[in-house]
Amino acid sequence: MNYLEAKSAPAREDRLKANIAFGGTLRDIKGCLKKGCFGSEGCLNLAGRRFSQTQGCQFTLSLAILNTLRNAVIIMHAPIGCGICSISNVGVNKTFKQLRDPQSEGIIWLSTNLDEADVISGGEKKLREAVLYADKEFRPETIIIANGCVPSLIGDDIDSILADLQTQTAASLVPIHCEGFKTKVMATAYDAVYHGILKNYVKKPERREYIAEPDLEKIKEKYRISRHVNVLNVGSMSRADELELQRLLNALGLTVTFIPCYAEPEDFEYSLESSLNVSICGTHDDYFVEHIKAKYGIPFLIDTIPIGRKNTDRWILKIAEHFGLEKEAQRLIQEENRELDKSLEPFRQKLAGKTAFIAGGEVRILATAEILQDLGIKVLGFKAHHFDQFVEPIFDSLEDLDDAIVDVATNQPFEQANILKRLKPDLLVTHVGGNNIAAKQGVPILPLFGPSYNYLGYSGVFEVARRLNRVARNGQFNKKLAENVPLPFKQEWYEKDPFTYIKQQDAV
Amino acid sequence: MSKFIDRPRYTCALGGALATLRAIPRAIPIIHASAGCGHNLHNAINAGAGYLGGGYCGGLSLPSSNVVERDIVFGGEARLREQIASTLEIVDGDIYLVLTGCMVEMIGDDLDAVVSEFLDYDKPVLPVHTPSFRGSSYTGYELVLSALIHKFVRKQRQKTPLSVNILGIVPAQDVFWQGNLKEIKRLLEKLGLKVNTLFGEGEDLESIRNSGAASLNIVVSDIHGIQAARKYEEIHDIPYITTGLPIGAVGTEAFLRQVAQALSIDPAVTERVIAEEKAVYYNYLERLADLYNDIDLQRYAVVVGDANYVPAVTRFISDELGWVPELAVITDLVDDNDKPVLLKRFENFESGLHPVVKFDTDASSVKKYLTEIWPANHNDKYFDSFGPTVLIGSVYERDLAQQYGFPLLTVSFPVTNRIVLNHAYAGFNGALSLTEDLFGLLVAAR
Ligand code: SF4
Repeated sequence: MNYLEAKSAPAREDRLKANIAFGGTLRDIKGCLKKGCFGSEGCLNLAGRRFSQTQGCQFTLSLAILNTLRNAVIIMHAPIGCGICSISNVGVNKTFKQLRDPQSEGIIWLSTNLDEADVISGGEKKLREAVLYADKEFRPETIIIANGCVPSLIGDDIDSILADLQTQTAASLVPIHCEGFKTKVMATAYDAVYHGILKNYVKKPERREYIAEPDLEKIKEKYRISRHVNVLNVGSMSRADELELQRLLNALGLTVTFIPCYAEPEDFEYSLESSLNVSICGTHDDYFVEHIKAKYGIPFLIDTIPIGRKNTDRWILKIAEHFGLEKEAQRLIQEENRELDKSLEPFRQKLAGKTAFIAGGEVRILATAEILQDLGIKVLGFKAHHFDQFVEPIFDSLEDLDDAIVDVATNQPFEQANILKRLKPDLLVTHVGGNNIAAKQGVPILPLFGPSYNYLGYSGVFEVARRLNRVARNGQFNKKLAENVPLPFKQEWYEKDPFTYIKQQDAV
Repeated sequence: MSKFIDRPRYTCALGGALATLRAIPRAIPIIHASAGCGHNLHNAINAGAGYLGGGYCGGLSLPSSNVVERDIVFGGEARLREQIASTLEIVDGDIYLVLTGCMVEMIGDDLDAVVSEFLDYDKPVLPVHTPSFRGSSYTGYELVLSALIHKFVRKQRQKTPLSVNILGIVPAQDVFWQGNLKEIKRLLEKLGLKVNTLFGEGEDLESIRNSGAASLNIVVSDIHGIQAARKYEEIHDIPYITTGLPIGAVGTEAFLRQVAQALSIDPAVTERVIAEEKAVYYNYLERLADLYNDIDLQRYAVVVGDANYVPAVTRFISDELGWVPELAVITDLVDDNDKPVLLKRFENFESGLHPVVKFDTDASSVKKYLTEIWPANHNDKYFDSFGPTVLIGSVYERDLAQQYGFPLLTVSFPVTNRIVLNHAYAGFNGALSLTEDLFGLLVAAR
């Protein structure tokens, strides 16, 4: 893979033929995967909707990663509204960064505030002023310039402006081209961000060379690298998740660096002194690890996400295989499973037989289904933000779910409302965002992820079980809302098939 | 000529429009823009306005055409037409407003033409041009109101005597909008007025439709809501007055007298209402007489926020709480022509104090002004330091507050560290809440 000559990363609907609109069962979707419906010739690649609800763009999702980078100032090159969603992050961001480095600052960002005059004459002047101000005022290591739709439509040549400005700033300038209208698949954001990181952050670290380096030191260094992995974290992961994965890998004798979230610029340089890049989610990382492999020869592993027991087992084994540590891994897995299994018993007794619906990112929801099945909960259906090849490894961990409903929809709470009305699950495990609608349907909700909770690894299974049990014990808040607050959809809508508004192929 | 902004304290025109519609029951926005705009703005408005929530059909339920590059190249009108039609099929509303984002305005989609195809629908469907580059949330509020005033508010030649509309409190942007409107309504009703706050408790779409019958518009802001007031004047022949945001006894008395005078209400009635309110107010405030003086609860203060709050809060803490505000920073995008009226609000403080007033949109500027007004200690043994001080601002001021060790009360957008339901800071009751919250900070560790 090499897209780095290009100004920006390609859209996922083109690169991966990702789909955002589909309705059927898991069996249907497996069939589609086999037949290649999601592929380049496939019927589903460009599917859309006649009715749609706001879904987020790659700009907003890019910020989810960019806001975590330490020692950086972000410039939103756009009118005043783009990226203002950072407000929802401003209060907690510093706390999360300080879990990694107590000296960290919160998010600082500038909006170039493009107005009507700029739309006509171009945003260059304001961009220059903003960059120079950020450099002088905040003295960051990097200034990240994320551009919204407007500069791209005006035709601002951001890369050239920044190349020129780079000679005047102490900070390195990192353009991220993430204008929202370029893609329907929000996850393109990950590529957009990695594109900027690969071009600007990733380079061989400058290490001081000793004139005479004792052999022992060289051997030690080589050994260190041979036992070091990078784990690519995601914005929705918590520090507790990281510590759990670190614990498991340390148990195999491996050391870990987490990038990209909450990383410092130099972490990306040292990440090249590593012998394996481990993804926890293909949807998130394939662009990065493929490029690193092509350019620096570091192999990678994209398989399953370590959520649920079987997925965690598998994730550990795959890593262990790379290092020839299968035996050690087997022992670790056995021991961990034995302990965990016992700890889940009380929750199984309470939760078995309940039904659930899961909504969010494709990889995460299917893996979370494994936890629910482990607890004896019946999963009735899924809503996936988008759909592509990266879910395949997770199918192995699931039992007998072929009849579960699958709605591929980035947000689109109207479809979910219709489906939930039919399925009437006891529990909902969902992504943040559209839950005010689901809440008014009266179902108790457990968030699918949360930056202060543990979901990953073996401890994550226990934590999910424990919290799900609590959520299931009292659903009065949502129940009372449902009794008293109406939903915005007409009665006729619930009578229609939930996938009525999906159109197979956008008319071009 | 505008400039870049360091951490804006408002969203864009589209965001202001969405927040305003969020405040009208069963009003349905249909966004004609890329897929990100609605989601992005909801995240800002929800969190920034003390967790306002998506409401009936906001948040991620916002209907949105989600145009992509192909639509931008070929034009997004067909997609918009399809989206309006499907929204009318699915979403149960009483009015639908089609709002635009920047990209569709730049490619020249003919919003008005597409929307006019839905004239026959049994509920009104109205176009409003709200591209982000037209201005901030405040502009969005004016644009939505102007559209409603123009195309939806019923024309009534015969005005209802003593009936008024309240303008100038921008939902969400004023985090306490709903509580504030409720208090203002309560007070004016005591004067015998029929009060339409357009949004908030007791109001609905019908209130807006009937707002043309008012005999006076009261703009409780020196700069926001004035375009809407002018539209009412021009189209519905309703005169308007501007008052500041009334906070506290001093501010609210002046407010009530000004309104009473404009409507020729018997001064005896007004004075009686004021006396009643003040009696209750001082009955509560008097409780602090002990503690305030027992442990010296006078404080220096710095006030940062929008053009409605900063003058009102600064005067309140100066002239009623007896505090010493040294710096007031107004963070809105204020037109140069509007600055004199705002500056006037800082004149003639009864305390005799003259806080330094700055107009600045940048979050990082507040600290610079602080060092400007009060030089740092250069190792002097005897140094008259700036403290104890309370910082009244937004959540952006938290770092500064921590750095200086000032307690912080967040009152202006964004307020992400509080849950705001019906809390208010306006009027007499609001001032009591503000007093509770401010002094609450000071006794929190006791
Ligand atoms: S204008 Fe473009 S970049 Fe900005 S929020 Fe909307 S879709 Fe995203």
